[in-house]
Amino acid sequence: MTWADVVRFAAHALSQHRRRSLLSLLGVVIGVVAVISLTALGEGARRYVVDQFASLGSGLLVVMPGKTDTTGFMPGMGGAPNDLTLEDARTLERQLPEVIRVVPITAGGTTLSRLERSRQALIVGTTRDFLRVRELAITRGRFLPAGDFERGAPVVVLGRKLAKELFEEEDPIGQAVRVDDWRMRVIGLLAPRGTQMGMDMDEAAMVPVATGLRMSNRKSLMRVVLQLRPGADMRIVKQKVIDLISDRHGEEDITCISQEAVMNSLSSILQVLTLVVAGIAGISLSVAGIGIMNVMLVSVSERTSEVGLLKALGATRTQILLIFLFEAVLLSATGGAVGLGLGWFLIEVVVAFYPAVPASPPVWAVVAVVGVSLATGTIFGVLPAWRASRLDPVLALAAR
Amino acid sequence: MIRVEDLWRTYEMGGEELHALRAVTEHIRPGEHVAIMGTSGSGKSTLLNLVGCLDRPTRGSYHLDGHEVGSLDPVELSRIRLHRIGFIFQSFHLVPRLDAVANVELPMIFDGVAPGERRKRAMAALEAVGLGRWARHRPAELSGGQKQRVAIARATIMGPGLLLADEPTGNLDTRSGDQVLALLDQLHRDGMTLVVVTHDPNVARRADRVLVLRDGEIVRRVEGASVTDLAALFAEPAGES
Repeated sequence: MTWADVVRFAAHALSQHRRRSLLSLLGVVIGVVAVISLTALGEGARRYVVDQFASLGSGLLVVMPGKTDTTGFMPGMGGAPNDLTLEDARTLERQLPEVIRVVPITAGGTTLSRLERSRQALIVGTTRDFLRVRELAITRGRFLPAGDFERGAPVVVLGRKLAKELFEEEDPIGQAVRVDDWRMRVIGLLAPRGTQMGMDMDEAAMVPVATGLRMSNRKSLMRVVLQLRPGADMRIVKQKVIDLISDRHGEEDITCISQEAVMNSLSSILQVLTLVVAGIAGISLSVAGIGIMNVMLVSVSERTSEVGLLKALGATRTQILLIFLFEAVLLSATGGAVGLGLGWFLIEVVVAFYPAVPASPPVWAVVAVVGVSLATGTIFGVLPAWRASRLDPVLALAAR
Repeated sequence: MIRVEDLWRTYEMGGEELHALRAVTEHIRPGEHVAIMGTSGSGKSTLLNLVGCLDRPTRGSYHLDGHEVGSLDPVELSRIRLHRIGFIFQSFHLVPRLDAVANVELPMIFDGVAPGERRKRAMAALEAVGLGRWARHRPAELSGGQKQRVAIARATIMGPGLLLADEPTGNLDTRSGDQVLALLDQLHRDGMTLVVVTHDPNVARRADRVLVLRDGEIVRRVEGASVTDLAALFAEPAGES
């Protein structure tokens, strides 16, 4: 008996019970679609995060007030930390030769208004180097002036969307806007950038950091971003930063993390999440296997006399086993193929609606799901097939 | 051809031993046409299953073409059923989803004959039993007599030396039954060894020899001219009971 004969015989037998075959196959389809689409989403989320970080420039250290390492709380929640001040930022700039840029940042929400128009917006207080660290660009005018951190000039750079809403077709450069109670002059426009690390830069307004601090009536910066000289050792610089600030504050009350570390841990968290989701969906595949086993057991008992006949005609146990095993494998393989196609289609639909999420199933998931669905058919097909092959021909022939 | 000696087949039922066959010893020569008669439960089907290598004896020996069958493994028994033995059943046992020609092809599939060759041989076999026109019909579209002729084509397709028939006309009307019996006679004339289990004296009468079983034992052997008288002999108790 050749393989082609086995497959043909199995396919023909299955085609006699279309509805039953399709229903048992549906379980596999659902399982495969679940694995493919869920892993695609997980992988999409991971790549989204990685892309976000990649848009930030490399070799960045972020210093935040509050300590997380020992308390385990989020920054700002571990008691009352000392302020992270502009003097701290300046100290870092002066004392660390490995650092080429020091960017203090404040952030808050305020109302911007011009004439009768007004709008809530994110106000970022920072310095000229913010542009480089965030890899932003200016389309018109210029960015914040270089120079002393402490000089809070009344100037503002607008995100593209914000500018459009306040000024419509007018050229905003040189015009005045009211930010909170402050009258400020627009000096530049940001090139469109979209959402970056949760901040929609197109809807933000940037002011000098000292201005930002004054507007929010605070002393403490939200964070200080340090860009390291290429080739500088991230861990050594990190320790130096902690030592320096601890010296100034009298205690270790800051958190210093590297952009890469955050990205890597987020990425691996998402990867584990994807794996877990894939595992759960994989379990649904094995449930589908039980459906196949059930159908095959019914099929064997319905065809008992056929098995008896095949034995009388000279079929060996192995041949009977293969015929029935292949029916199960054929069911699960077909289910797997249909599921792959359907899953692919679903992902395309999702990506069409949310182009920001680069969802596509990881190769390992596709390989695994094909393997698992084939294995499911084989494993759950063995029992019914073995049963058929062991039937006593005399009793089987007498069965009705 | 067939030599059985002191053949026993015992079933265990509810702790009791049930002897379906007791010490059967018989010799069937090549080319012989033998009928096995007996009431139901006399052990005639059990004997046929043992001779057909579908079952194994509890005790005793069975030589087929000089080989001891009892010592063969399941695969070898399958080979014997495939190549040396053809089966014909009362209920035809055609696979309902396969058309006539595909049913005839079945044994050749197990032997690994190529599809083209299979189809050619199966068609020829169907022509030989007068069913060439019905090759693409499924069993449900065939009459009982036609089904049994398909079954005969299938039983002989591998060129076996031995044909075993269990009540081959049991489900047929007289006319189709006669057609089937004529076909069996033809095969016998062509040299096939034929063992037919029946309780119909009209079927048994065509045999060279008749074995009568009762309670698992051969109680009578009728040969030659006296086979014809058997009809009368058996019509009587059958009518009484």
